[in-house]
Amino acid sequence: MLSAADRNAAEARAALKAAIARVARGDRAALEQVYRATHRKLFGICLRILGDPKEAEDALQDVYISLWRRAASYDPDRASPISWLAIFARNRAIDRLRTGKVQRGAVPVEEAAEIADDAPAADALLEDAEQTSRIHHCIGQLDADTGSSIRNAFFEGRTYAELAEASDTPLGTMKSRIRRGLAKLKACLEQDDLEAK
Amino acid sequence: MTDHTHLAAEYALGLLEGEDLMRARGLVASDPDFAEAVARWETQLSPLLDEVPAATPRADLWPQIEAALEQGAGPAAAANVVPLQQQVTRWKWATGVTSAAAALALAFLAFPPGTSAPLPVAAQPELAAVVPIGDTALSIDLIYQPGERRMYVTAAGLEADGVHDHELWLVPPEGAAQSLGVVEPGTVKAVDLPENLAVQIGDGSQLVLTREPLGGAGPGTEAGPVVANGEFSTI
Repeated sequence: MLSAADRNAAEARAALKAAIARVARGDRAALEQVYRATHRKLFGICLRILGDPKEAEDALQDVYISLWRRAASYDPDRASPISWLAIFARNRAIDRLRTGKVQRGAVPVEEAAEIADDAPAADALLEDAEQTSRIHHCIGQLDADTGSSIRNAFFEGRTYAELAEASDTPLGTMKSRIRRGLAKLKACLEQDDLEAK
Repeated sequence: MTDHTHLAAEYALGLLEGEDLMRARGLVASDPDFAEAVARWETQLSPLLDEVPAATPRADLWPQIEAALEQGAGPAAAANVVPLQQQVTRWKWATGVTSAAAALALAFLAFPPGTSAPLPVAAQPELAAVVPIGDTALSIDLIYQPGERRMYVTAAGLEADGVHDHELWLVPPEGAAQSLGVVEPGTVKAVDLPENLAVQIGDGSQLVLTREPLGGAGPGTEAGPVVANGEFSTI
């Protein structure tokens, strides 16, 4: 039996999936629906990566304009709609960091956090708790340095060279440490995949 | 893990730069298995983003996005071809100039400052990209007209070596990159792009050039090494 909360979550995901499919067919109203349902979560992600509210707003605008063009590339069989959108937003924000439009760390993370909402609200409904625990569990299996390097790369768009410099580690050492970590991570995620079947 | 499996993970995380980054982009463009591996990593990593607290942007952001879409940032706008733009295009052809860039400069002279060209032209600005060839002074120059969905590829100074061709790829931020065709050395070519490609081209769109056997990368084969890259920007 599904609980009422699970049913709500499943319905929210299905509605978002359908809206993205309509965006892909050029339905502007559907884009607004996607915006209403997801902009707070995606803005949080842009803000976390860029650190500056103004930049994060520009990035968010970018995200939905790109979504208007690329909604057709969403494959519902591969990822939940909110996972896909979250990665989509993360990649756009990181691109912005890379192209040098933004000075990294323009605003300290703590300050950015002050703008954050306290209420998780509707966006949180869309998340998939089972998936979340899986990646956390697997990163938790890595040694602390490797885990945090991988998280820094993911959240801050740090390259090998930047990670090496920040931790005063030779580049080669950093590369092999992270590669070993990624191999372990992959094995762990696949292990969990098998168990889930 | 194999070299490719590593590379897919590294690319998904954003660890790469320089040549490795170019190689990964080329593979995303040309190797469906690699693109799939990148997408799988992204899907698996994405729940990490659930821990980021939600936040509220300023209230007028949605109207601003709508306004930007109205101005032609969307797929529907590709159909808004204005007659003047067509005229300019035909005229460019008639002059038979050897460089699309020169044609553009002349087109600009046709409307000296102060005379008002119809506004819709400005609503769909043309894009240009320069893809420099190694250490040489040569480059492949591209002009793209969104309204016409037409791309001019200038490879005027280049010579064919008789063994290789060079293939141009559009590398979208999401999903597989797509071939824009093989570059013909020593020519200026106009390429009419299909809509699915056209809608992906905008300010900041990334391009890579790969070295291929004559005729370009065949379907289902891996693209050759990336030899150059460039980026479209509004002109």
